[in-house]
Amino acid sequence: MNTPIEQFDDGAEQIPPSDEVRAGEYVLGVLDADGRRSAQARIANESGFAALVHEWEQRFSGWLMGAPVVTPGAHVWPRIRSRLGWSPVASARPGVWNSVAFWRGAALLATAASVAAIMIGLQSPGPVAPPVPAVVQAPAAVVQPAPVAEEAAARPVTVLARDDGNAGWIARIDTATGKLLMVPVPSPADAQGRVNELWLIPDGQAPLSLGFVSNEKAHTIVMPASVRQALAIGGTLAVTLEPEQGIPHAAPSGPIVAKGGIQQI
Amino acid sequence: MAELDVMDHDAVAALLAQVANGDQGAFASLYESTSGRLLGICLRVLSDRAEAEDVLQEVYVTVWNKASNFDAGRARAMTWLGTIARNRAIDRLRALPAPYSRASIEIAEATPDLGPTPAAHAEIADDRIRLNVCLDKLEPRRQVLIRTAFFEGATYEELASRSGSPLGSIKSWIRRGLMQLRACLEQ
Repeated sequence: MNTPIEQFDDGAEQIPPSDEVRAGEYVLGVLDADGRRSAQARIANESGFAALVHEWEQRFSGWLMGAPVVTPGAHVWPRIRSRLGWSPVASARPGVWNSVAFWRGAALLATAASVAAIMIGLQSPGPVAPPVPAVVQAPAAVVQPAPVAEEAAARPVTVLARDDGNAGWIARIDTATGKLLMVPVPSPADAQGRVNELWLIPDGQAPLSLGFVSNEKAHTIVMPASVRQALAIGGTLAVTLEPEQGIPHAAPSGPIVAKGGIQQI
Repeated sequence: MAELDVMDHDAVAALLAQVANGDQGAFASLYESTSGRLLGICLRVLSDRAEAEDVLQEVYVTVWNKASNFDAGRARAMTWLGTIARNRAIDRLRALPAPYSRASIEIAEATPDLGPTPAAHAEIADDRIRLNVCLDKLEPRRQVLIRTAFFEGATYEELASRSGSPLGSIKSWIRRGLMQLRACLEQ
């Protein structure tokens, strides 16, 4: 026996739901296959509806991210590569990014978590200029984030691009603490046993060593006072291959493997 | 496993930006750092491991092809990835030939503890706390239905059959629950 409330509830089914509700239903996951298909078609074609769906996705993101971490089987990654038409085995060694220390270190510096916006500018690095330290063609513009309240602490980054245009490292300079976070895109070690040394090249001046930088793990580098004073927009961060002995060196002697112009600090 | 609980949206966003440029090394890194979480998301909806891992492959193919669609100004990177995984998993669930039967839902009882595990990242935890606080303000049956729908990807029809309630009532409770949630979250 229905209560009056129940009857009212039953009647509500007859009224087509508003777009707001429909978007919520889609994100909640209650629509059947047909319902999902029509909602997905609307997302693709109606920006207003897509925006409503996006809002619901943000509302439920706390639950989404509460899912446990379950390591996939070893067969999954080669199959993804095959589906993309690549060879199943890569030359890259993704395992190094498993490092707990790396992610903890990165997380520590990324205090204002959704720094989201800072990366917008990274999407289109242009060709990299030949390795001439004093005349720098910046590989990537860094776009100041749109003013979003929680991103107030967003910090710009500098991409150090390799000669092929791919990122070698991403650097985040924190002038407040005098620290530099270096996040590498993992690369093989030098066959000749040399190591990567990071340099700040102030505009038109000689390079200053910042010491060793890892090709595998993100880490922070505390900038010496001399480097902090020389740090300015227009300078360049560059990585060279150097003998491990004697780091930090007074001047670079090996080839530049990656570099990027500092466009914002 | 919690140690691989990568919640650094910043680092993930940086990798996505490189993936959008066609950087395969960055893509491998992205997979290493996010695939565990995304498989967990798939497994909540698809309890079958093989199905979930197959969906995970689709997800990363999509991520490779669509990374340039990621807009760091609109969404956090892990949320963007997780949403793709969840949608793919639900689509797969709907496509499976015979929906396996799942436990009945007792909507008269108090809310069961279906809550997610604690997260390492305070910001995510904040989002979840806000959502949970707002959910707690709904009447219990709406809470149960909304949780079950979200965590299991259950359709209206399935919720009706599992709870023994009329389809119309289920729809109405959930729709009103959604609007109450929205109002609460936007306060």
